[in-house]
Amino acid sequence: MRQLPLAGGVALALLLLLAAPSLVVAGASLTAGGIVQFPPEGLSLRWYGRVLEAREVRDAFLRSLEVATVCTALAVPSGTLAAIALARWRFRAALAIQLYLLLPFTVPLIGSGIGLMLLFGELGLLGRVWPVGIACCVINLPFMIWAVAASVNALDPELERAAASCGAGPVQTFLLVTLPAVAPGILAGALVMFVLALNEFLVSLLLVDARTVTLPVQIYTQIRAVITPDLAAVSTVYVLVAAAAVLLLDRLVGLEIFLRSR
Amino acid sequence: MAVGVAARPTVPRADTAPAVEATGLGRRYGEVWALEEASFRLERGQFLTVLGPSGSGKSTLLKLIAGFERPDRGHVRLFGAEVDAVPPHRRPIGMVFQRLALFPHMTAAGNVAFPLEMRRFDPREIPARVERFLKLVRLEGLGGRRPHELSGGQQQRVAIARALVFEPELLLLDEPLASLDVRLKEEMQLEFRRIQRELGVTTINVTHDQREALVLSDRVIVMAGGRILQEGDPETVWRDPAHPFVARFLGVGTMLRGRAEAGPVLRIGERLLPGRAPNPATAPRPGQPAVAALRAERVRIAPADGADGDGTRLAERLAGRVEDAVFEGERVLYELSVPELAGLRLRAIDRDPGGHARYRPGAPVSVQWSPDDLLLFDASLETGSDP
Ligand SMILES: Nc1ncnc2c1ncn2[C@@H]1O[C@H](COP(=O)(O)OP(=O)(O)OP(=O)(O)O)[C@@H](O)[C@H]1O
Ligand SMILES: [Mg+2]
Repeated sequence: MRQLPLAGGVALALLLLLAAPSLVVAGASLTAGGIVQFPPEGLSLRWYGRVLEAREVRDAFLRSLEVATVCTALAVPSGTLAAIALARWRFRAALAIQLYLLLPFTVPLIGSGIGLMLLFGELGLLGRVWPVGIACCVINLPFMIWAVAASVNALDPELERAAASCGAGPVQTFLLVTLPAVAPGILAGALVMFVLALNEFLVSLLLVDARTVTLPVQIYTQIRAVITPDLAAVSTVYVLVAAAAVLLLDRLVGLEIFLRSR
Repeated sequence: MAVGVAARPTVPRADTAPAVEATGLGRRYGEVWALEEASFRLERGQFLTVLGPSGSGKSTLLKLIAGFERPDRGHVRLFGAEVDAVPPHRRPIGMVFQRLALFPHMTAAGNVAFPLEMRRFDPREIPARVERFLKLVRLEGLGGRRPHELSGGQQQRVAIARALVFEPELLLLDEPLASLDVRLKEEMQLEFRRIQRELGVTTINVTHDQREALVLSDRVIVMAGGRILQEGDPETVWRDPAHPFVARFLGVGTMLRGRAEAGPVLRIGERLLPGRAPNPATAPRPGQPAVAALRAERVRIAPADGADGDGTRLAERLAGRVEDAVFEGERVLYELSVPELAGLRLRAIDRDPGGHARYRPGAPVSVQWSPDDLLLFDASLETGSDP
């Protein structure tokens, strides 16, 4: 029991460290002055008002939403089926696929990004918004597969036999028993894919042009010009959206789904 | 049964055929035969328990009957029809699984309604039927709960209702009671018996609990190492085990080893112990090694110097010593050493409440039993199919 205060103190310090960037940027966004600084100089919401008025920022945000939607819409069916197939059947390519699932951690994004840039350039898809969604889906699909695989692995194989003994054929069993049982994993994966695509920067940077920038690229461009507190405001909105997604996830399916993946 | 034609599974029937007929059934995983050879018949309306230790092939047998797996050899007939090509969802079988396998995203009532929806019962008829079966398993009013909001015993009942609600012609139970505590288990055993009698559904129950087998069944099959060692009614299997393994698995007590002589008699050293061979097929041949099972509850203990306790004819009377006395409430379990039988340890059960703890460890006693209770077998059987 004696170590408890110490452990608690360390944990608190770590939490503060993790939260510091978000807290600083949120603080800076509330400044009443004209430059980004922390602590803020006076309190006001005027920079949030500026963000709402700025057309480029709003358009970029809508484009990011489009990217995230395309990405999620593709990732849900393909990732779900892939995860179920991987968890259920042993086949020869299984090892190769396991390696593929580690890619997001090993291959630098700039590498995949350049590959996609060349490919999309060949296909004449550069400078449009929806291909960025496809790109995000391709790059982040392992996260979707992990989330669903965690649910599939936790699934009792007797459940599908039980469905058969109730008279359900293979298709009915899949639709009425297997899918609902892994739904938490699908939902979790979908939310993760959505947030990752919404935040995706490097790949977007390579695939879009000046008229089709996504929000992270827009922010980056503005930083290179003048750093004004409205950037801090946009970043804060971002943090809030991500936090909302995590909260939603926890409310809907519980976060332990990620702790269960192998 | 007010059921539409579509609701009835597609197995055609000859009305006099047995419910289940397995001939030479076998299933192999890789090089190992999980089930080597199973042949048996089960008449309609009967309750059969398949009893055997872990890994003896019980679940494999059920999977072949349910159609979840295909036999590598042999055939299953259900109600007279060959079903080798019939997929599981078209067989007239309800099943309760070891881990219950309730659908977690459905309520209790939803679980019970599922087989009715899948088997295309008239939708107007479904709610009443669900209600009726929830009542049958004493779950009235709990239909709206999800499985995780129910206790273990209640979940068990949902699984039973789900397996029975479409009035299957055959009910399969794969150790559904294994995880319950003793009291709930005994309660559910009686529940199974009651429901099975009420509906008259032919049932195959799998367990490794010998008590459950004896309590519930019309017929018992004892399995070991992927083979059927004995089939019969519970009393016969208990009284006349056909195989040394069956005797041991039913908890007979002590196994004695020696040589057989005509009679039959078991010879251990110089001592001749008359016994009985319950099954001619497994009887020892004179001069060959033999193994004998001695029922613990039939071994009488008397003070070393005293006379016989009662008037029954007791053939043997050996000098022994109490090594251990375990008080178990309604009985005392003794471990006795008998120097004359090469220091063998005998088990004896004393069910006489007045006699509890009459003999302390170290006490000299005389030990007796009737030849009827010494069951003799060919010793080569033990090495042959010992699991
Ligand atoms: N899918 C499988 N692959 C390989 N071996 C298997 C498989 N299923 C069962 N076996 C083996 O077959 C044998 C019989 O298994 P089975 O499940 O029928 O035993 P059981 O009598 O039901 O045992 P328990 O009482 O433990 O459930 C076991 O040795 C088991 O290891
Ligand atoms: Mg089993």
